Amino acid sequence: MAAPHASSLPSNSSLAIDVDHLSKSYREGFIFPRIHAALKEVSLQVTRGEVFGLLGPNGAGKTTLIKVLLGILHPTKGAAQVLTLPAGSKAARRRIGYLPENLVFPRHHTARSALYFYGRLSEMSNSQIAARENELFELVSLKGRENEAVRRYSKGMRQRLGLAQAMLHDPDLLILDEPTDGLDPMGRSQIREVLEKLKNRGKTVFLNSHILQEVELICDRVAIMALGKLRGMGTIDGLIRNHTQENAAALVLEVISEPSNIEQLRMLPEQAIIEPIIFESLVEQTSESPPLAPSAEHNLSRISIPSIDQAGADRLVDTLRANNISILRIERARPSLEQVFMNIVGAAK
Amino acid sequence: MKPYIAVLYDSLIESVRSRVLWILLAGWSLILLALFPLALSEGETYRIGTGDVTNAGAMMDQLAQASAGRGTRSQRAVFAKLDEDFQSTLKDRERSKRKIAIGRLVATLNQLLEKEDLYDKQAWPTADRRDELKEILETPKKSPDQLQKLNRRLLDLAFPGSIRPATGQATWLTYAGMKFMDPLPFTMRQIRPFIEANLFPFIMWLGLGQIAMMVAIVITAPMIPDMFQTGSLHLLLSKPLSRSLLFLSKYIGGCIFVAMNVAFLIAGLYFYAGMQLGIWNNGILWCIPLFIFAFMVFYSVSAFVGLIWKNPIICVVITALFWGVCFTIGVVRNIAEGFLKGPPEIQSILPIGDTPVTANRQGRILFWNADAKAWQVAFGDVNGQRVLGPFWDAKQGNLYFGRTRFVPMGLGGSSSPRLEFARFPEWATNPSETTATPAEQKRKPWDDIRLDSAPELPLDTTDVIPWDDSLLSITADAAYLFDQESSSKNEQQKISVFGFDMKLPQATESHRKVTDADWDFRKPIAACRVPNTSELLVVSKGALTLFEFDGKKFVKRNALDLDFPAETVANIAICGRTAIICPEDSVPILVNIDSMSDSSEFESLGKVTIKRTAIAEDGRVALLSKSGKLWIVQPSANANTTGTSEPSEKNLNLTTPNLSGQGFASTMAFDKLGKLWVAHHIKQIDVWDNALTQSTLTFRPAPTTPEFLYDYLINPFYLVNPKPSAIQETIQYILKNPDNKVTAIDRADLDMPTIQRDPWQPIWTNAIFIAVMLSASCWLLYRQDL
Repeated sequence: MAAPHASSLPSNSSLAIDVDHLSKSYREGFIFPRIHAALKEVSLQVTRGEVFGLLGPNGAGKTTLIKVLLGILHPTKGAAQVLTLPAGSKAARRRIGYLPENLVFPRHHTARSALYFYGRLSEMSNSQIAARENELFELVSLKGRENEAVRRYSKGMRQRLGLAQAMLHDPDLLILDEPTDGLDPMGRSQIREVLEKLKNRGKTVFLNSHILQEVELICDRVAIMALGKLRGMGTIDGLIRNHTQENAAALVLEVISEPSNIEQLRMLPEQAIIEPIIFESLVEQTSESPPLAPSAEHNLSRISIPSIDQAGADRLVDTLRANNISILRIERARPSLEQVFMNIVGAAK
Repeated sequence: MKPYIAVLYDSLIESVRSRVLWILLAGWSLILLALFPLALSEGETYRIGTGDVTNAGAMMDQLAQASAGRGTRSQRAVFAKLDEDFQSTLKDRERSKRKIAIGRLVATLNQLLEKEDLYDKQAWPTADRRDELKEILETPKKSPDQLQKLNRRLLDLAFPGSIRPATGQATWLTYAGMKFMDPLPFTMRQIRPFIEANLFPFIMWLGLGQIAMMVAIVITAPMIPDMFQTGSLHLLLSKPLSRSLLFLSKYIGGCIFVAMNVAFLIAGLYFYAGMQLGIWNNGILWCIPLFIFAFMVFYSVSAFVGLIWKNPIICVVITALFWGVCFTIGVVRNIAEGFLKGPPEIQSILPIGDTPVTANRQGRILFWNADAKAWQVAFGDVNGQRVLGPFWDAKQGNLYFGRTRFVPMGLGGSSSPRLEFARFPEWATNPSETTATPAEQKRKPWDDIRLDSAPELPLDTTDVIPWDDSLLSITADAAYLFDQESSSKNEQQKISVFGFDMKLPQATESHRKVTDADWDFRKPIAACRVPNTSELLVVSKGALTLFEFDGKKFVKRNALDLDFPAETVANIAICGRTAIICPEDSVPILVNIDSMSDSSEFESLGKVTIKRTAIAEDGRVALLSKSGKLWIVQPSANANTTGTSEPSEKNLNLTTPNLSGQGFASTMAFDKLGKLWVAHHIKQIDVWDNALTQSTLTFRPAPTTPEFLYDYLINPFYLVNPKPSAIQETIQYILKNPDNKVTAIDRADLDMPTIQRDPWQPIWTNAIFIAVMLSASCWLLYRQDL
């Protein structure tokens, strides 16, 4: 399908979003005004065709940044360009599809009339909308329910309808504010699929989410914001590499041996925790049968070491095997985005 | 579809799908359904209503007298036909002075209307000389309607002044075909201007302007704040449409919602007025855009507030406050204008030597106080009365004036005017030959002159005309000459209250009836003496009648039917031997008094409402229009006054003098020397020489503090205020103009304040206000971080 607005871009046409030292501050309070800086010197670039995730705790300035990109807020300092056009300009807005956080549709709409309404606002003709509507309702799994009043929709359905209207005019850039918020796991996976398809079509997606696992699954690159500042940006792997000590990760072992036996080896670091593994019967207890004692007959133990380097881990495994202790399971935790996030945000505080 | 059209269309769909719209429409439908059976029906009736008995006490006195064999023959004849029960009650009343309920009197009189044998040739000797009665009397078998008419006329003749003479025509208010209340003594043609000029605008003002407007403001208040729900607004703002257009589309959407309601309700009222009242007034439909416009003024405030606080309750509160402020400023200004511009306006001038005595619209008699440069009130600070006169009796040094209760539009029953007169001290009128001491001369006339007596004028006196040494009171039924001797005789009747001598008000004894059955007119009536003759011209019932006074009575000499409706108010002036009859809002008619055979139109004057005329001793005539323009008419030098019966304006010379108060004049008078005294701009008087080229005297009072405040504070403040309620004036203008006309019912109506305002001015001022508010809103929205 042809994009409604052919792109003929100048030099940095590879950038979908270009934010340059952007600051936004609010004046708060009427009698004793106080300046609150929501964005501080934020610079970021999103290349075309990329799925970009913006992460950050509540109040980090994510939504503020999106609003500046859409022209809803006027920046205090700095500049932002969207698809090489000034952010907030009408021409830029024509090529953006936006899904706001906590989307509310006017109560009088059905899903279809809402789609038509927002389509017309995006300068589409009725026939253009009609040509797209079935495909979109199918895509967001609202087929068959498009004539229901939106006020009766669940939050997930509204969110999917919101996504449909954002995609309706086939925009070059999709800005999604918490797209999977309020959706069940099925819904989330559907949205992920939709985003994958969009990505394959070369659309740029700029999304903003709390749910880090989602971001990890979908995004090519992420940026993490805290307290109005950009704290880190890059591919997920890159971020993890930069923001964690790669060699000192946690190690969990499950072995066939009593905890006391392992302790006797005196080879574990101080922070290590050894505990017996107790299986609890899932059989329902009855008054006739005596209560089952925790079964420790297999003498299983779990060893958890919060941080150990690779050499230490190797030595530990060697020692255990040398003492003829069977290793049932070994898990060397890979540093996650969550960890990176916690590190970055924690450091910001 | 353009994005802003989509927003508009969406607002429309939102309105149609909202329950509020349907609830409102159902409410309006209920109101219209309840109103629909209410109608007016016109018919002929001679039945007596309670309001027709204007003086029940006098009437029962006369009947009681008749029971004792006194009173007039006609009164005795009426008494004889009353039922026995009532007769004995009347006799009993004579002894015990017990009161009789007016309702019983009216019921008994209505029984009389059905009696076939009430008429008695001896008792009513003049009855068969009246055309309408003659016809009935000659009919052998009278229908009940004819009988009722005859008997009612007989009662009117038997008790003049106690019963309002029947017009025969009446209008009933009916609900679903059922008549209720007494009939209103007017024809539909008379009621229609009242309905259109007063009732409709009032209903529009109260029902739509106030109640529906408040409903509209409350209902539309959430529309703009709703737009700011974070979830929906940001999505709208992300679309390629400008904030201003988004806001304006929402604003217009709110207006469309109100428009649907207003159109429904007003169209309903239009069809109601047309189908039930027979008034197809397209002005009602014009009220639809006007009300939407008035609403737009309030909604522009509500929307602006909605942008700032995003809270519908604050919108309603501030819009109501705005309304209150506009209303207060408007009311203060109107009250001030009512006090300062209407009542103090000079209504008549009596030049005595070099000083004027004037009467203003409030009914006050004013003397010029040259020292204080102010008008000085004499004879009490009365309010709300109309003055006939004042007149000056040079021989006796007496000042006369009649004071009548002022009845707007001629509604609300009859009035009881009094003739008041005061004797001037000699020094005040003839300072050169005075024998008064200097101390006496220092006193002012208004300090020294006291009212002498106050005999009642005949009931329903519409005009008083100086007639030789007396005064002629004109009523529709008769004319009366004031009999000063009997009046002073009556003056002897005094009673003592707390040691003070109180003069009893006198009834019509002091007035001598000088007309017979030929004087049979109906209100409105105007009369004018032909200068230097004993002829009197009367305009009434759309005809001109010439009477001549033979020393005892006015004898009918001639009459001419003029082509204008009987209920049209007309003024009359006489220039040479040409009568100028000026019916309201028409081209004046010229009639040659000598031939009284033909009439022509005074075309150079054009269509005009002449409210006042004055005749100089040299034959010049001054005509003053309701809008304050003054003309002078004089017999043309080469007038062909003999040999032709054709009245022609060639015989008259019309000029528009270039006077300083031209266009703002309220009244004028010629003095003995032929100088023209013109009152203008409320309280100012200029005296012009005979050639009307220069003013020889001026009386211009210094502005009082309230007048100063009005001119320099209240009025300027009002002018810059948006005044949505002034749209009411536009509505009134549109409604009362089915064919651009409201007719007066009485000549006094021509004196109603004519505060000239451009009815379209509120549209301009309010449109500017709306534009300013909307621009401010757009600017605010553009600047706002949302």
